[in-house]
Amino acid sequence: MREMQKYAYPIFLAVMAVLPHLLNSRWQAVAITFLIFTVVALSQDIILGKSGMFNMGQALFFGMGAYTTAILNHQLGWSIVATIPLAILIPAIFGVVLAGPIVHLRGDYLLVVTIGFNIVFVQVLQNNLGGVTGGPNGIFGLDSLSLFGINLASQVAVYYFAFLVLLATLWVMRNLEKSKPGRALHYLREDQLAAESIGINTRIYKIFAFGLGAGIAGLAGTVYATQYAAVSPEAFEFIQSVLFFSIVLVGGSSIPGILLGVFVMFVLPEIFREFATWRFFIFGFAMIAAMILRPRGIWPATFGKIPKFLIKGGSHGA
Amino acid sequence: MGRNELILKDVTKRFGGLTAVDALNLKVTEGQIYGIIGPNGAGKTTVFNCITGIYESEEGSVNWRGEEIRGMTPYQIVDRGIVRTFQTIRLFSQMSVAENIMSGRHIKSKQKLWNGIFHTPSSRRDELENWKKVEEQLDFFKLSEFAAVPTGSLPYGIQRRVEMARAMAVEPTLLILDEPAAGLNDKETLELLETIFKIRDRGVTVLLIEHDMDMVMEVTDYLTVINFGKQIAEGTPEEIQKNPAVIEAYLGSEDDDDE
Amino acid sequence: MDIFLQQLANGLTIGSMFALVALGYTMVYGVMKLINFAHGDMVAASAFVGLTIYTQVMGQATSLLAVITIFLLSAVCMACVGVILERVAYRPLRKAPRLSAVVSALGASLVIQNGIMLIWGPRMRIFPELVPQVYWDLGGVVISLIQVIILTLSLVLMVSLYLFVEKTRMGAAIRASSIDQDAARLMGINVNSIIALIFIIGSSLGAVGGLFIGLYYRGITFNMGWQYGLYAFIAAILGGIGNIPGAMLGGMLLGLFNAFIAGYVSSTWADAFTFILLILILIVRPTGILGERVAEKV
Repeated sequence: MREMQKYAYPIFLAVMAVLPHLLNSRWQAVAITFLIFTVVALSQDIILGKSGMFNMGQALFFGMGAYTTAILNHQLGWSIVATIPLAILIPAIFGVVLAGPIVHLRGDYLLVVTIGFNIVFVQVLQNNLGGVTGGPNGIFGLDSLSLFGINLASQVAVYYFAFLVLLATLWVMRNLEKSKPGRALHYLREDQLAAESIGINTRIYKIFAFGLGAGIAGLAGTVYATQYAAVSPEAFEFIQSVLFFSIVLVGGSSIPGILLGVFVMFVLPEIFREFATWRFFIFGFAMIAAMILRPRGIWPATFGKIPKFLIKGGSHGA
Repeated sequence: MGRNELILKDVTKRFGGLTAVDALNLKVTEGQIYGIIGPNGAGKTTVFNCITGIYESEEGSVNWRGEEIRGMTPYQIVDRGIVRTFQTIRLFSQMSVAENIMSGRHIKSKQKLWNGIFHTPSSRRDELENWKKVEEQLDFFKLSEFAAVPTGSLPYGIQRRVEMARAMAVEPTLLILDEPAAGLNDKETLELLETIFKIRDRGVTVLLIEHDMDMVMEVTDYLTVINFGKQIAEGTPEEIQKNPAVIEAYLGSEDDDDE
Repeated sequence: MDIFLQQLANGLTIGSMFALVALGYTMVYGVMKLINFAHGDMVAASAFVGLTIYTQVMGQATSLLAVITIFLLSAVCMACVGVILERVAYRPLRKAPRLSAVVSALGASLVIQNGIMLIWGPRMRIFPELVPQVYWDLGGVVISLIQVIILTLSLVLMVSLYLFVEKTRMGAAIRASSIDQDAARLMGINVNSIIALIFIIGSSLGAVGGLFIGLYYRGITFNMGWQYGLYAFIAAILGGIGNIPGAMLGGMLLGLFNAFIAGYVSSTWADAFTFILLILILIVRPTGILGERVAEKV
């Protein structure tokens, strides 16, 4: 398995790097969506998969990033690239502030509260609070991407922007796995009491997970706003959160699992367009079947990522 | 900072109408192997939970090195050098032995929250140093061959060792063991005795609950016997063995504990 | 004052519908510790089933007997769907991680919701006028016959359920199963049939709720299950999920709260205020109004 992964990742990334040149413009758009939603699903994985917190409101942070970009660009005339820091920071701060009072809640209660945050958020957008969100129609007519005065309006440019964001996310996820905070998340998911009893302040790390997941989702939001040059409330309804939630659990809390989940949920329907009305009907059955056959997801998280020098001969080594 | 002493004064913990621990006093001094014994349901584990911050006792004081630790959270107490194991083993069962032991390095590791996002040379060094410490524990507890194996798939006796290794990775001053010999066979119990003595020789004070009377008499320096949450006797193992109250309350009903 | 009384009447009507649906969530949660996300869609399905029974089976009759038959047949249909749902989507996952069952429930919800769409189409359908449009004007407060029927019938059903659970042997078996399934099994209770029974009761109450929604709002859509289901679920959480009187209380409170927000503030903010209330209550009292605190055994 490990051998396979060693080659699988470079091949996957190489294919993704040349992909837009092999596709027509409709499929380029699908590929961009695939990249964006993968990033959101990975950010959801930090909260749900790695830390085991039942978050069903990830579309809120995704939307907050998208709206931050849209508002700063459209109302204040910032360039798209200049909005990135705030599109990460604002959702991250909200993630921390919202998570603070709720992370102690038991699983199902947390789920309902996060659904609640999502619904409140969408209603705020629809009611055009402060007159900056554009109400039910949202905001459209954003500038196209440009950097150092070079206009990068083409779809291929947006694709590479999305790809860059995915690479950055994968890099952060890798760093997280090999760090004290990343392990703390795993420990508290496996057994919170044991984690506390070994000295982990679980509250801090849960809030950290929300902040980090929200920041990454916010960045994905910027790309989304760039792709459509517009944002509107219905793209961030809580039904989207349900999809991200399902992707992580059906795919499994691992990068291949999440890629697979996003592919099945967002790319397959594009391939089988004639079955569009059957899409969710079939997905529903697939979700039930996947959980019965593989309760931990199709490609579950693998552990045992320990330094090589610790594995000494013996028949038990992995 | 006072000496490494744990002093419980009049600690009382109630659950609804039930008084699980009733005005308990005890004093564990540095370098001791201290035992708490008592029949099933006597409130032993509750005492541990009150010391380690899982429960907060309603009354009394829990004093460690001259500092009141009652009301602190479990992680604050770990930070002060008190680490425990559980009667029902609580490992991170999907994770490997090495990762489980690494959790014990959490409070010693100097990495900050943002090192979860990106590493610096010093955080990489810190990571490596802590894995080296894990290696030491793997060697000490003879667990090297299982380093990469998920703990959930290991036999019971080995899981007990992993749990102790995880606690020792914290480099505690006071190690609290909740029935460390439960479920072990004779050979494993003997190894456990040896391990506990070795741990004490490293300067760690040990406080344990145990049902296996032979083992308790052999390993401990000092004992407290409790029944219905109250202390009924204390002393050296020899004194306890001769104490009529103890014989009546505990040794007399030993058949309860052979399950 | 008129607004107050009017919204009180409206709130109690909506609240009793929420409560009926909430009972299905809370009973399933009580025994299986599972949020049955498909329940809301079953409620929606019931309205469509009722519509079809009315047009195809009853030949559009609106006599009292015909209306009673529509209610009974819909309830029986949904009870069957509930039992099948449990067998197919939930029973195989009883021992699996908690989240797996949640995803399976979400899957079941998608299947039912889109099943409705495939059978009855994506557009809004109008529910038949089974009850004559009779209104009473009580000094500025208008109350309809439908409201009176909904409120009375809901109360009768809820009181019967309460008595059933508290006073009968089978009710005791339900309570025992929700405290500790394994212990209940050791005491000779057939937990599988208790779970089936719970799905039968919960789904039929939900079915009645669905028909009430059709009667009261008239317009029914394939995806309305999420909306009403979510509100009912919040009601169950407010009252303390797993707690039967809690679901009734939560439903009524939520209905009233909603009606007053719509009456005094604005209906475009109703959802937001409802969730803010829910979040505040959960932060102050994480187990709901009537829920008990559970201590973890260490």
